[in-house]
Amino acid sequence: MTKTTTREIPGYIQSAIVVSLIYFFLVGVSSLETGIKILGSDTQESLFSAASNPIAALCIGVLGTVLVQSSSASTSVIVGLVASGALGVDDAVPMIMGANIGTTVTNTLVSLGHIRQSGEFRRAFAAAAVHDFFNVLAVMILLPLELAFGIISSVAEWVSGRLVGTAGTEWKSPVKVWVKEPVGWIQSFWEAVGATDGFRGVLMIGTGLVIILLALTLITRNMRALVADRVERAVNALLSRGGGVVAIVIGAIITVAVQSSSITTSILIPLAGAGVITLRNAYPVTLGANIGTTITALLASLAASSPESLTVALAHTTFNIYGIAVLYGLPFLRDIPIRLAEGLAGLAVKNGSAAVAYVVFSFVVLPLIGVVILG
Amino acid sequence: MVLAFFRGGSSDGSFDAIVARSIGMLSDARHSFDLATLALLTETDAETVANDIRETDQRINTAEQELRSELVVHVTVQGNADIGSVLGFTLLIKKIERIGDQAKNVLDLAESGVSLVDSADIDELLLGRQIVSRLFVDAAELLGDSDASDSAVDEFADRALEIAANHQQKIDGFMTSTQPGHEVVPLAIYYRYLRRIVMNLIGVVRTSGEPIPHVDYAAEGTVDLDD
Repeated sequence: MTKTTTREIPGYIQSAIVVSLIYFFLVGVSSLETGIKILGSDTQESLFSAASNPIAALCIGVLGTVLVQSSSASTSVIVGLVASGALGVDDAVPMIMGANIGTTVTNTLVSLGHIRQSGEFRRAFAAAAVHDFFNVLAVMILLPLELAFGIISSVAEWVSGRLVGTAGTEWKSPVKVWVKEPVGWIQSFWEAVGATDGFRGVLMIGTGLVIILLALTLITRNMRALVADRVERAVNALLSRGGGVVAIVIGAIITVAVQSSSITTSILIPLAGAGVITLRNAYPVTLGANIGTTITALLASLAASSPESLTVALAHTTFNIYGIAVLYGLPFLRDIPIRLAEGLAGLAVKNGSAAVAYVVFSFVVLPLIGVVILG
Repeated sequence: MVLAFFRGGSSDGSFDAIVARSIGMLSDARHSFDLATLALLTETDAETVANDIRETDQRINTAEQELRSELVVHVTVQGNADIGSVLGFTLLIKKIERIGDQAKNVLDLAESGVSLVDSADIDELLLGRQIVSRLFVDAAELLGDSDASDSAVDEFADRALEIAANHQQKIDGFMTSTQPGHEVVPLAIYYRYLRRIVMNLIGVVRTSGEPIPHVDYAAEGTVDLDD
């Protein structure tokens, strides 16, 4: 007697659509890289000089990600910038860390939707804030260590060197060859409409950004529909067995599948608000989402022509693995993000406008101040 | 647990699992009903079935709580396309849970020392037990059949309403009976539980197909069917 809504597009067609969209995404990354190269080294230097200060670079990463509401998109752009040579690995790593912080704004905004029900809001806001606090604490611990000892970039460089060669060499990525032709078409199109060198570079960057954002949005939408039943089963399995390392793995798998950590973490918010999942069990899933979301930058690095782009993508993965190893792996640190999130949620319940102020100040005002003062 | 993600399934397989678990709850509720009525209507010692009934009731309660979570997960992950079915099932599983409680109430009656073995109407009572037990099976079949026609649901509802009306007639008769209280009161209470079980079974079958605003109401919302 139960009649539920079924998916209208067959799975195999949706899979083919996703593969095509991934191809367009890679074309977008390559267009971006080409556009920046066309701009020339002087323009590149003046554009990205602000990123030479690591705190400013961190703030740029936060703002950029808040703007596009997707760390997958912002880290893919960073990979494109590194591939073009406009941005060095050392400058890109703090930006990547900023992207990790910026992506948490989406689920925090989702949690604000529960503001009218205090009990529900307390649980939902805490589930969102635990992701914020974890990512901020990870940056507070790992950024100084990276700046002092290069603990993240050295590992990423080592892995990248084993996979595609050392920095400064030209990497003949097969994916780069596949996307070369459509990128050439885009370039020819802007040439045909009469765009001169510098302006053509800007247009190529703009086209690349539009393609990246559009492709990622459509990939996420299609993948979400394609794997919804699997995600549902995985979440149900998670509810019956609790959190822990397995929850991290499930969070990572779901995020890889839907190509968006925001989707994974935003699914958790209504569940936490309804009391279906506890904060303690939601927490490791968000950590898995942190790892899962790095797949997009790794994918983007396949369309780039320098080993440095893969190094930056691997730095994103390494940073998140280190973060989990330190903050979740060490039992005496594990509960700190939970306690902070519960404390902030308590304050947010007492004063709803404080929650809104927290979002605006943490994700917009503070990073803007950082960029203006230090950039 | 991780492998749960990689297992194949149909496009609406996740809701199929919710339906299957609801049918499992109904089967458990029937098990409790059969045992409880056995204790009340036959020589079976209530103590020998009490543990089984309480464990089954616990299983039903746990299933209800887990299914509520699964319904929230379903609507969160899949979006609001199935919102009607999700709300319907939230009501439906509560009805099944209540049936489990009502079966336990019949056991309570038996445990308090009531026995209807020597009742003059024992043959009719045993036949009535069989009829209601059969209703559980029919309700489960309709619940699990996504192609069940409206006429099949209406036929079930009409049959069950007739049984419930018969139970009410019995109760009304006991209210004005001149028989001693210790004879008619247990019968009136028993028939009251039976009627509530039957009405909840109607609710189980109709909830999954009725428009949400009209669930538990007949004649386009004008007649209250809930008991």
